[in-house]
Amino acid sequence: MRSPPLTIALGLVATSFLTAFFLFPLAVILQRSFSGWEGLAAIITNPYYGERLLFTGGQALASTLLTVILALPTAVLFARYTFPGKRLLRSAFTVPFVMPTVVAAMGFLALVGPNGLLDITLRGKVVLILLAHVFYNYAVVVRIVGSHLERAAPRLLEAAATLGAGGWRSWWRVTLPLSLPAVLAAAALVFIFCFTSFGIILILAPNHPTLEVEIYRLTARLLRLDAAAVLAMTQLIAIGLVTWCYTALQRRLAVPLARGAPQLPRPRGLARLILQLNLLAAFILILSPLLAIVVETFWRSGSALPDLAAFRALAHSPRSIGFANPWNAIGNSLRFALSSMFLSLLLGLAFAYAVVRAGWHWLDNLSLMPLATSAVTLGFGYLLAFPKLTISPWGVTLAHTLIGFPFVTRSLLPSLRGLPASLPDAARVLGSSPLAVLRRVELPLLAPALVTAASFAFAVSMGEFGATLVITRPEYATIPIAIFDRLGRPGEANYSAALALSVILMVITAAAMMLFERFGEGEW
Amino acid sequence: MSLQLENLSKRFGDTTAVDGVSLELGSGETLALLGPSGCGKSTLLRLVAGLETPDRGRVMLGGRDITRLPPQRREFGMVFQDYALFPHLNVERNIAFGLVELGWSRAAQRARVAELLELVGLSGFEGRHVQQLSGGQQQRVALARALAPKPGVLLLDEPLSNLDQGLRETLKLELKEILGALGIQAVYVTHDQSEASAIASRVAVMRDGRLVQLADREELLRRPATTWVARFLGYRNLYSQAELSEVTGLPYPGPALLRSDEVSFGGTTPKAITAIVRSCERQGMLHRLELWVPDWRLSIHWEGFGRELPHDLETGDAVTITISSDAWVPLPGDA
Repeated sequence: MRSPPLTIALGLVATSFLTAFFLFPLAVILQRSFSGWEGLAAIITNPYYGERLLFTGGQALASTLLTVILALPTAVLFARYTFPGKRLLRSAFTVPFVMPTVVAAMGFLALVGPNGLLDITLRGKVVLILLAHVFYNYAVVVRIVGSHLERAAPRLLEAAATLGAGGWRSWWRVTLPLSLPAVLAAAALVFIFCFTSFGIILILAPNHPTLEVEIYRLTARLLRLDAAAVLAMTQLIAIGLVTWCYTALQRRLAVPLARGAPQLPRPRGLARLILQLNLLAAFILILSPLLAIVVETFWRSGSALPDLAAFRALAHSPRSIGFANPWNAIGNSLRFALSSMFLSLLLGLAFAYAVVRAGWHWLDNLSLMPLATSAVTLGFGYLLAFPKLTISPWGVTLAHTLIGFPFVTRSLLPSLRGLPASLPDAARVLGSSPLAVLRRVELPLLAPALVTAASFAFAVSMGEFGATLVITRPEYATIPIAIFDRLGRPGEANYSAALALSVILMVITAAAMMLFERFGEGEW
Repeated sequence: MSLQLENLSKRFGDTTAVDGVSLELGSGETLALLGPSGCGKSTLLRLVAGLETPDRGRVMLGGRDITRLPPQRREFGMVFQDYALFPHLNVERNIAFGLVELGWSRAAQRARVAELLELVGLSGFEGRHVQQLSGGQQQRVALARALAPKPGVLLLDEPLSNLDQGLRETLKLELKEILGALGIQAVYVTHDQSEASAIASRVAVMRDGRLVQLADREELLRRPATTWVARFLGYRNLYSQAELSEVTGLPYPGPALLRSDEVSFGGTTPKAITAIVRSCERQGMLHRLELWVPDWRLSIHWEGFGRELPHDLETGDAVTITISSDAWVPLPGDA
């Protein structure tokens, strides 16, 4: 398989970027944190950290199982039937995923927190973590499994019908076995997200720290870099294995883009009832936290009309040092989101190109590593490795770029793989240089996937919390930092301000996601 | 400017796709690369186009070594098996694609596109989108696109294999006319022997990466070089020396092919012999018979049209057949 110079160049650029801004900071942390072999042994054998590891893995596993069990019926129903409002509903389910974790946490606080809408307080309980994770990752299962089934199943179901297995029987014998790779891929991704979960744990149940929260404590509060580095490496290894499984599975899932979507039937009778109940339950679970935020923000005083007290509280924030100015925060968030989105697109495109055209499959795994790595650790690595950079806004931008580009690569890979190889060949024979082929043929055809990728990168940057928390300076505070800051201070006004900021963040992120639904295309 | 291939070889990992192939194309000639799937003909075409680089050997154009030249500088045209039309461009923009690279003005592009659409019989299709075209129309647009930049050599990779029978027949003739009218050199890859004979004047048969026979199309059918080639061409009456031991009137000894188109019904002894119909079936308009010659202890497969038969034949009937002396073709003793 030929690797034209352009592809190799792109691959090298991508790898160098990753090496400089990802591997190097991690290496610096490892080097600075090493305090001798005895110290290392002491940390590894410390039972407290062992407990944390087990807890992290356990809650991730439990969250994954719960999410899959709850979301699988919806995925199957979505792939089997069509009904009015299906597209809207699917978008609605995706909203939590692109929401910043801080907003998700706020949502659950608004629902079941000490000042929450419902009378129960779940704050500090493990079950809340699980619920928040399901809320967050529901869409991942529905989209990955649903779209795979929708594309791969129709012809096989027809064959099954001619052989005597129709209706639900064929689903049991054909579709569910078929969907297994998709379910495993989705489960792997959900596990990764739950394992590395930070904002949700930090805000909702800091008394049950996961590895990531522990790492944050060790670096930012206790300055125990050696222990933090060990935990970060442990996390990396654990997730590395799961990542490897995920990329292998995703390769198997690459189905060539079907010509023409199959006509799905409307549900009837019992199926219709099951569908409606399922969707209702999902709706309640997934959207209630977000609705809670809205209700808490606008209807706090209890009157029938919405009021803007929360926003007034936000606007009149005291101007003191260390207090994140909300206008700055919004401006910063947008600034970082746009610049890192642009860089993520370039980097992710270079990666996807090198993986598909040059066949560098190991890059596939490498590109997922930032997802697996502790964002907190990465942030701290930046502080140590690039002290000058983190004083400038570029520190946050680069951190966001590295955290966002895996999503870009994930969005682009299936579309790039689905592009017939004869198209660039034809362009080359017709006289296009490799750059012209990219510009005139490949990029136009990838445009929908690029829009999807851009929206993801944007949303990820808007919501990034872990790395930003470590690198942040008051003048570069983003909205999630401002929210966290407010939550950490006592008083009604601060809580209201946090709510108001959450609403703003929700609106911006939702707008970006609607762009994706409207113009974009493609799955992960 | 003539195209010359010198000892081209290409390996992919452990597999040798093309093994020391040498060819020369005369001006205005259409050469067919014929062979079963996996024989290396498409790889050879891609080597000529520059989409692959050979491990050994050279590609020469008019005496110039173009082996290291990238495809965009070779000025060849190529029609792909799946047409490879750009889905984001309409018909006009597709055909004009190569002209944009050459820097033609918009007006010149439009004129050339109109000229080519008329050539392929699709005048007025400029604004159509690729998805709206039928298979045959797509194929014609692909041809127009390849011809637009006035290439010196046209390369065609099984362009008709995705079309149905009727369309294939029509386009076969059109292609031949167009190639002839333009006087352009062309290399035509196909696995279909009748297509090769219809379109090309010379045929190169390939097997496992090697060239096994290079001949005019009539010569190929009259004298296949090996048993394998004969079988590939569709000949079924292939006999080893042992099987021919009882046969009288053989012009030469050794393994041979019996051309069933030189077998006719009727005739008188001593030339005619008796045969029993072992099976008969119809395939479309063709009748296919298996005839058993008891004197020779030999089976002969025959296919042809109903009017060549003496009467409606059924299994078990006895018929008289005459085998002309041109019917026997010697084969070298290879598999």
